[in-house]
Amino acid sequence: MTLIGLYAFEKRALYEVLLIAVGAGLLGTWIVLRGLAFYTHAVAAAAFPGLVLAAGLGFAPMVGAAGTGALVAAGVGGASARRRAHYDVATALALVGALVAGVVLASNVFHSGAEVDSLLFGSLFALTDLDLVLAGVASVLALLGTVGLGPRWLATGFDATGARALGVRSRVPDLVLLALVAFASVATLAAVGALLATALLVVPAATARLWTNRLLAWQLTSVALTAALGVAGVWLSVRTNAPPGATIAALGGVAFLISALVNESGSLYRRRHA
Amino acid sequence: MIDARGLAIGYRGGPTVLTDVTFSVMPGERVGVLGPNGGGKTTLMRALLGELESRAGTFTIEGRQGTVPQTERSRLDYPVSALDVVLMGALGRGPWWRRPGRAERALAQAALERVGLEDRARETFGELSGGQRQRVLVARALMQDADIVLFDEPFTGLDTPSAARLTALIDALAAEGRSVLVSTHDVGQARAWDHVLCLNGRMIEFGPPEHVLTETVLAETYEHAVIRIPDGWPRGVTQSAGASARA
Repeated sequence: MTLIGLYAFEKRALYEVLLIAVGAGLLGTWIVLRGLAFYTHAVAAAAFPGLVLAAGLGFAPMVGAAGTGALVAAGVGGASARRRAHYDVATALALVGALVAGVVLASNVFHSGAEVDSLLFGSLFALTDLDLVLAGVASVLALLGTVGLGPRWLATGFDATGARALGVRSRVPDLVLLALVAFASVATLAAVGALLATALLVVPAATARLWTNRLLAWQLTSVALTAALGVAGVWLSVRTNAPPGATIAALGGVAFLISALVNESGSLYRRRHA
Repeated sequence: MIDARGLAIGYRGGPTVLTDVTFSVMPGERVGVLGPNGGGKTTLMRALLGELESRAGTFTIEGRQGTVPQTERSRLDYPVSALDVVLMGALGRGPWWRRPGRAERALAQAALERVGLEDRARETFGELSGGQRQRVLVARALMQDADIVLFDEPFTGLDTPSAARLTALIDALAAEGRSVLVSTHDVGQARAWDHVLCLNGRMIEFGPPEHVLTETVLAETYEHAVIRIPDGWPRGVTQSAGASARA
């Protein structure tokens, strides 16, 4: 514990959530806008067998996670180039396949035991320097992507057919978005694990969307909310001895629920008094 | 300029849905495309935009194309302002990694002024009225500096003042030397344009309105589902199941 009342491991966890907040908050808005929540969940889950392999064979966990995550991202990206229906089916198959492979590897091959918990739900209080670097890099890349390619991501989502007619024909910007989401999913593993990546990458952005109808305001709110949920989750988990990843996810769920209820009540009130 | 000869169009993996289309649109001409729902109007537009390949015949397009699609095709829940939508018209000008800059923003603002929406630039696209959304999409076509502008049923759902404003815009675009192709169900409106193209799975007729808009051609186009409104009656509320036209 230090003078300001934070343990060293707690401080490190706070750096992690603050570093990843920019990338997760920004990409979250694109994930919600472009309907990529399912893809995000699948890519993060795909990291699970990679992590089990890395732990079992003794190489860097992030290498394993990035390897299997990239495989799934490339497969889903390739399928989406052909047809939207292929994209959804490919994503579902990847999700199921990754979980099955991870469970078989963990229980029958490496007998990973309790270690599986931290792979699935994160280990925010056992971070390495590499985890912090990855979080920072993911945020910088997300910021660069948003500034440079945001208008194209927006145009394609607004009207895909119309965008092609406008001359927005290159698939590169969309593939960059899929790659950035995959990278950010891997970067959030240390914080929330393979199963709760969407707690940082989707839930805060979906919550912030309920409060604003302007893109820039939404993006800023999403980043701020991701950071706030991360900080509150770390603080609360230390004080209640609860798992940090699950605490952040639970707080995110509560924030979304309250926002949705307030929003719905507001709409109801306006309709009645219109 | 558009020149199509014996065009046949179909969707990938599906049957041919439009055949024998021969017509031409010169700079400064307004062409109305009439036909029932499913008659091939949107299919023709999509083929002209290069989204569908022709299965027979040829067509030549000279000049940059702009499109004003049906607004329902856009995501009305998207957090984009009118200015953002107009700026999308600048994306085809540069390489994929280049974002529109200050010069493009000034052009987009000027395009909004041109359609009379300069004071709505910051408003969310989905919160504008149907007529205003159409005008934003016209501004987007202006942003593309299109020589050929394709309107896909732009008058659907518009009230009379909004329709009149849009008609004036279409006339102004043609007066600047742009070729304008407008798909519509309003036969009376098409009567005021330079040429009319009637479609119903194939080309029924193409030519000046006085030659094309005859009872025989319209009956063939709309499969006898044309309702005649006597002179002096208010226009604008006629319909029949499946196919309809206002004559």
